Amino acid sequence: MSTTDRVWEVFRQEDEGDPMVHAGNVNAPDEELAMHYAREFYGRRGESHRLWIVARDAVTELDDPDLLKPPFDRSHKKPGGYIIKHKLEAAKQRAASEAGE
Amino acid sequence: MTELDAATRDALAELLLTVADDEFIIGFWDSEWTGIAPMLEEDVATSSIAQDEIGHARALYDLLAEVTGDDADRIAYGREPDAYRHAALLNHARGDWAFSVARRYLYETADGVRLEALARSAHEPLAQLAAKMRREETYHLLHADAWLRRLSDGGTDVRERLADAFRRLWPDAQQVFAPLAGEEALQAAGILPEPMAALHAAWVTRVRPALEPIAGPLVEAAPSAEGRTARTDDFRWLHGEFTMVARGDEVAALW
Repeated sequence: MSTTDRVWEVFRQEDEGDPMVHAGNVNAPDEELAMHYAREFYGRRGESHRLWIVARDAVTELDDPDLLKPPFDRSHKKPGGYIIKHKLEAAKQRAASEAGE
Repeated sequence: MTELDAATRDALAELLLTVADDEFIIGFWDSEWTGIAPMLEEDVATSSIAQDEIGHARALYDLLAEVTGDDADRIAYGREPDAYRHAALLNHARGDWAFSVARRYLYETADGVRLEALARSAHEPLAQLAAKMRREETYHLLHADAWLRRLSDGGTDVRERLADAFRRLWPDAQQVFAPLAGEEALQAAGILPEPMAALHAAWVTRVRPALEPIAGPLVEAAPSAEGRTARTDDFRWLHGEFTMVARGDEVAALW
């Protein structure tokens, strides 16, 4: 059996509307048994509302550090990349002094 | 529900006992695969299904205990081997994987026909339980069927083992539909909506076309009055295993 086994990644949803979360994986020779095994491993205790069973070799993987961890400073692409705390304080002071005039 | 007369109540008790014992004994035989099934995932699946069957037996013994004023645990574990009423199909030891798959397939298909009828029973608690069991048994049958197709496509040796198992088990599989002593009373009360003979005919019509391409022509075999009373050494061994903890005092004496 083991020579024909494939790995299937299993995602589960706890309740309708919840995100699908990676649960783990199972070995199975084909989609049909993968479904049975996914049910036994990730659904038999009533803990799942829905399962997605995906052949691992159907997953497109991206793990290239040049694309995912670029060498240049990318802090301006993050919400915290702009330090605006002191600008905000200056603006508040300006507003207060204008109101006091 | 109206009060049942003594004869009908006895017949209902017999019906419940036969179904409960079937589920109980197949559950124990299949649990013999725990730890040694063909692969880890299958090990978990087989064990879980075996556990489901014992769970169904538990619910049926509870129902029976209400009818007879007995105790579910005592019924399950407190009887001598000859007092069990499972079908002859479940008298055989686990065998190899093909044998277990063949038996599960025969049992699940027969049980499916029986549950479909019991879900229409006039005895409301039984009808409700049968409907609930069917939801799980549908999945059990899919699992058995998945393995049947894999083994029948699995090369000459595997296919031959499967065919042998079917030929060997076929006569005993009929005994799931062995006539019940109080069947007429059960039908009169609507508790058993169809006679066992009719359920048997429906099952044979369904499974024969699936099995003969694998096993070749299957002999004409019929349910018999002794189909649920003959016991084997295989079963006596299993009985010793599954009653071991319940016979606690005896085991404690060995320690």
